[in-house]
Amino acid sequence: MRQILLTSTLILLVAGHLVAQETFPRNDVKDPRAGLFAFTNATIVVDPQTTIQNATLLVKNGRVEQVGTNLTVPKGYTTYDVKGKYIYPSLIDLSTNYGLPEVQRPRGGGGGFTGAEQMESNTKGAYNANQAIRSHYNAADEFSVNATRANELRKAGFGAVLTYKPDGLARGTAAFVTLGESSDNNVLLRQKAAATYSFEKGTSTQNYPSSLMGCIAVLRQTYMDAEWFGSLNPRPFADNSLEAWIQNQKLPQVFDANGWMNVLRADKLGDEFGVQYIIRGSGDEYKRVKEIKATNASLIVPVNYPEAYDVEDPFDAARVSLAEMKHWELAPTNLGALEKAGINFSITSHSLRKVSDLIPNVRKAIENGLSETAALKALTITPAQLIKMDDQIGSLKKGMVANFLITSGKLFDEKTIIHQNWIQGQPFAIKPLDTKDFSGTYNLSLNNASYNLEVTGEPGAHKAKVKVNDSTSVDATATFGNDLITLSFKPDAKAQGSIRLTGWTQGNGWKGRGQLINGTWVNWSATRTGDVKAGGPQRSGGDTKKDEPGKVIYPFIGHGYPTLPVAETMIIRNATVWTNEADGILQNTDVLVKDGKIARIGKNLSEPGAKVIDGTGKHLTAGIIDEHSHIAAASINDVVSNSGMVRIGDNIDAENINVYRALAGGVVAVQILHGSANPIGGQSALVKLRWGEAPENYKIQGADRFIKFALGENVKRTANPSSIRYPQTRMGVEQVYMDAFTSALEYQKRWNAYNSLPAKEKMLAVKPRRDLADEAMLDIINKKLFITCHSYVQSEINMLMKVAEKFNFRVNTFTHILEGYKVADKMAQHGVAASTFSDWWNYKWEVRYAIPYNAAIMNRAGVLTAINSDDAEMGRRLNQEAAKAVKYGGISEEEALKMVTLNPAKMLHLDNQMGSIKVGKSADIVLWTDHPLSVYAKPEKTIIDGKVYFDIEKDAQNNKEQEAERARLIQKLKNAKRAGMPTQRSEGRSQAEFHCEDVLGQESEGHEH
Amino acid sequence: MKKIFNTILMLLAGVYAFAQAPVPAKAQDKPIALTGGVAHLGNGQVIENAVIAFDKGKLAIVASASTNPNLSGYEVIRIDGKHVYPGFILPNSQVGLQEVTSIRAMNDYQERGDMNPNVRSLISYNTDSEFIPTFRFNGVLLAETTPTGGTISGSSSVMEMEGWNWEDAVHTADIGIHMNWPALMRRQFDFNTFSFSESPNAEYEKQVTALAQFFAEAQAYGKLSAKETNLKFEALQGLFDGTKILFIHATMPKEIVESIRFAQRSGVQRITLLSGQGAYWVADFLKENNIPVILPDTHSLPDRTDDDIDMPFKLPYLLTQAGVQVSLSCTGALHGGRNLAFFAGTAAAYGLGKEDALKAITSNTAKALGIDKRVGTLEVGKDATLFVSEGDALDMRTNQLSHAFISGKLVTLPGNQQELYERFSKKYGQMK
Repeated sequence: MRQILLTSTLILLVAGHLVAQETFPRNDVKDPRAGLFAFTNATIVVDPQTTIQNATLLVKNGRVEQVGTNLTVPKGYTTYDVKGKYIYPSLIDLSTNYGLPEVQRPRGGGGGFTGAEQMESNTKGAYNANQAIRSHYNAADEFSVNATRANELRKAGFGAVLTYKPDGLARGTAAFVTLGESSDNNVLLRQKAAATYSFEKGTSTQNYPSSLMGCIAVLRQTYMDAEWFGSLNPRPFADNSLEAWIQNQKLPQVFDANGWMNVLRADKLGDEFGVQYIIRGSGDEYKRVKEIKATNASLIVPVNYPEAYDVEDPFDAARVSLAEMKHWELAPTNLGALEKAGINFSITSHSLRKVSDLIPNVRKAIENGLSETAALKALTITPAQLIKMDDQIGSLKKGMVANFLITSGKLFDEKTIIHQNWIQGQPFAIKPLDTKDFSGTYNLSLNNASYNLEVTGEPGAHKAKVKVNDSTSVDATATFGNDLITLSFKPDAKAQGSIRLTGWTQGNGWKGRGQLINGTWVNWSATRTGDVKAGGPQRSGGDTKKDEPGKVIYPFIGHGYPTLPVAETMIIRNATVWTNEADGILQNTDVLVKDGKIARIGKNLSEPGAKVIDGTGKHLTAGIIDEHSHIAAASINDVVSNSGMVRIGDNIDAENINVYRALAGGVVAVQILHGSANPIGGQSALVKLRWGEAPENYKIQGADRFIKFALGENVKRTANPSSIRYPQTRMGVEQVYMDAFTSALEYQKRWNAYNSLPAKEKMLAVKPRRDLADEAMLDIINKKLFITCHSYVQSEINMLMKVAEKFNFRVNTFTHILEGYKVADKMAQHGVAASTFSDWWNYKWEVRYAIPYNAAIMNRAGVLTAINSDDAEMGRRLNQEAAKAVKYGGISEEEALKMVTLNPAKMLHLDNQMGSIKVGKSADIVLWTDHPLSVYAKPEKTIIDGKVYFDIEKDAQNNKEQEAERARLIQKLKNAKRAGMPTQRSEGRSQAEFHCEDVLGQESEGHEH
Repeated sequence: MKKIFNTILMLLAGVYAFAQAPVPAKAQDKPIALTGGVAHLGNGQVIENAVIAFDKGKLAIVASASTNPNLSGYEVIRIDGKHVYPGFILPNSQVGLQEVTSIRAMNDYQERGDMNPNVRSLISYNTDSEFIPTFRFNGVLLAETTPTGGTISGSSSVMEMEGWNWEDAVHTADIGIHMNWPALMRRQFDFNTFSFSESPNAEYEKQVTALAQFFAEAQAYGKLSAKETNLKFEALQGLFDGTKILFIHATMPKEIVESIRFAQRSGVQRITLLSGQGAYWVADFLKENNIPVILPDTHSLPDRTDDDIDMPFKLPYLLTQAGVQVSLSCTGALHGGRNLAFFAGTAAAYGLGKEDALKAITSNTAKALGIDKRVGTLEVGKDATLFVSEGDALDMRTNQLSHAFISGKLVTLPGNQQELYERFSKKYGQMK
């Protein structure tokens, strides 16, 4: 032990001397080295575009001194003849935490929704108000060489990496280091090489943010805070994090985003502040190449392909989703797709199970369409350029850091091995340079017997086989050294043991000593007799035709389609048309859809080129609009009492199956509402269910903005007895509003005062800070942002109307509003709309007196009334829920249908473009097989913007095709398993179904809503 | 027509000022005949212009008017154009055991401990639950009230949706034991990805072994002559002599096969399975073993993203086609029990057809619960537990009850919700 310690200390000391480090004390005599090396007769890849044959590389003091052909090696250079070898720049990885302590994530935690809340940051010191803003952190402060990890990375071909701590939304600065081991001081090439960000709060235990959209809101606010803070001199207070944030803006900005949608979200956030992030994706960008390209972002892309799924058992195989299988097949096509689209990217080993998978996986990408040049570029020049280090590293031009690989062949060839990885002019051996090639057949003689020995495979990775008689070969265990050999084999298949030999090279073979099974010592020798016959058993055998991978589908989940629908000109002929207009219900009527609009309504319509759809016996209605939905968002609820700065629109989820299910239920548009854990929730997104489109395309352009408010038990945190968050009573809820609106008016005053200052005074004045929560409140008062308020009991309904009236605005909509029937007259007077459940009740105390007659009473009292779902399941049969207004309270059928079409359109201020069948309105319509209020009615077609997004026949056809696609992939997976590839079990990942209350994404017991 | 009906309803409501649940009806004191309606018998048959007559709580005549049955002594109620159905039966419900879901004091359906065969649901049953009138209002006249939780949750009973106390309201006490078969996979929520993932249940074998031993010891206990009484084992004996049903709750196909094989090996005589889509994968097995299946509501989401989007809608049809007897339950929130008819309506629309869909909430359910000798169809000699609807009762558009009888008793349909409707309609002058 002591000896080992001494030895390693020695190595470090010696290494320490290799590069002068004058400030350090010495505990030995000086050991100065010149650091002069020459590599001759090599094929040198100076950069991906420049390869020089038969060239020489000169290295001096850790830098490239010269590279070229016909160079004379000056005297005093240690010279290596590397004839037949290749020299490449060592690879660069931009996404590691090399040499940094691992991040210990806090265990458990209910995202701030269970237990006592933590409202403030726990970080001690003058740091940011949000614990997840760690811009003050510098990786260089903690970085220290980690020899084990460095060795792994070097073996994989890397010579330098960007390293940072994956912790927080703002993660501070990354250091750029080489993978040398001489000393921490020598390998750290740049202390602050990049600033890094993410959408994950990491170790922060502060409750806010507790959702993806909350993370985005925190980053957005911090950009604004930093801008304000930086403009003030002297600063209004000390904030080390903001100071660092401001400084860090000069650096390359790297954003870690998992999944293609987060790549788009990150880019969009950057656009708001004029920042172009370099985005580390997750390898699924091929799913949306067009949108990724449009970001203009450079990417850092992993090559972490999923392992094959175990599909041996058909029941278990059914658990593997089509998306999982398709991603398994298509992940290796990702880089090729990015290259084809002209996207600038670098490759990272991030999230690889073993870093040694890097080159094999890049090779797979090459087999699937990536060019070798692009691959090399993405591992050398591009990463260097992205962090502005390309003047020092990434190629082998004169003056560059001498980080290079010596390989046996072209870097990405399967047979190629990396012999050495030189870091800053110091060698790290991986595989001996002069590995002898022993492949061939040999005559092995021992103990008066002779065997045929066959040595195959590449030098350094030879395999041996012994032919014991004409028909039988046995695998031998063998180790080949340049001088020594160890070999053992069973002399016949039934033998109870092995003959074990050891020896040394001799002429064209070996000779040596060995032991027979019984322990008898013998002499042996082997003489080369010839080359191994070419051909031999092929690895995969049989049909070598490369099978074409399946197509990308939109969205990339089951029920996605290979192409998106286009607007059609069509006539729905001879249907019963529920106009929702003065015309009422028209029998035997035609409707012409053209250019995405309803073009004509009448009898015997004709239009050249129009597709005719027979509507005989069928009903055509306006598409259903769900005023209260939580589908199609990546997160739903954040945690602070006033979450007005949070926006659902920041996290639209375009891969949510419930969108398609709702479409199949005749829904064309929904308001995606924030959850109800807060008196003031986040801002809504108004979307059309444009299945297959990118997230931004879901949004209804030009729609008014809405915000969720909530009252009662949820905001009092009734279900969490440990809650300490204000408010805990309905009295407190009112005060949260009074406080928020009062504060907003003060905010307005501050800004008005500042804005009205003459230019000169303005420069001297202290600029007010922008506050996104205050701005949301102000927008409400100024009627630019409209409230949809989750509400149950009459007292609180009344209260919010009074608060609004005090601040001279009106509440737009009460949603749920289960006791609306008790104050319907007051609601009508206030002018608020009501969006309610048809028949839910009694799942908590505040809905004890909910009655299914609520909609009828409110409607009759003159309140604009809708019926909503708050639920992915109910959301796909809202027509039936509307029918209950007929059953309970005798509303007319026409009025009932309006409760899920025109009335919600009015509440959402969309009735100018949708909600009825009227010439000029958007063709957002549904063709039903039966009376639309009947339990027996099925939507046959759901049309949005004149495009058929759901078609019952196309759906059946697609199901069949996807069943076939599954079958094909299952066979391919089975073959992969048979070929010995590792397999995994499906995690059976499924999307959470959100409800108002379900901040955890988990349905709380008994469906609390 | 509907307006008139609603007015009638209001008048009815006006009679009672409910601060409490409506007053239970008196026992049938005179023979009643419903004539001129369309009778849906619950066994697939329909009689147009039917005579449905009953006395002392039992059906006496179920016939077409064309047979001219003798109605002397009967009070005749004309229901021309209306529809008569056997009372719908809601299986596997916590009705009477749970009131306001979120309030702990109002939940009485889950005892502590893992093996609770001795726990009996009817003891908790609250006849004054405000859910009951809302169920009745839409045709649910019988419900199996069922304990939950643990591996063996306890013993369930079938209750009539009416009565002064549990002893009065019980239709058939202690019909069987509910067992939750251990899950092969466990589900976790991942906060980082905001999604669920599954991993194998490492305890599965251990849990199955514990169950097997419990049943084996219980069976051996039954054969002991001298013994110290074990309440848990006593409660299981009915499974071995065929007087009680083992209700197996199992989800995945392999769980279904293993749990049923387990029960058969353990000497259980009668088995009913409660499962969902998993049952479809092993339909042949269920058919061969003659296992009735109680499905979740059709108003559910498919299990997995890739499933056909209408999978829950057509599941009753698919299983019926495969020869499996299906019935429907309400697996969502308790208040949804009143929508049982519409779950069947959806099944009807997705292949099952109306009369087979009706079976799934009447006769099939009666069989699955072992109460088919008395209820589930309109047949002479069975309980006069039935109702009259203005139209097709499986469609929310036309489900409007005018009369409901439980064992011949004319029950009050309006409840607190109708009373509140009336009160506030009057407040706003929407109703005189």
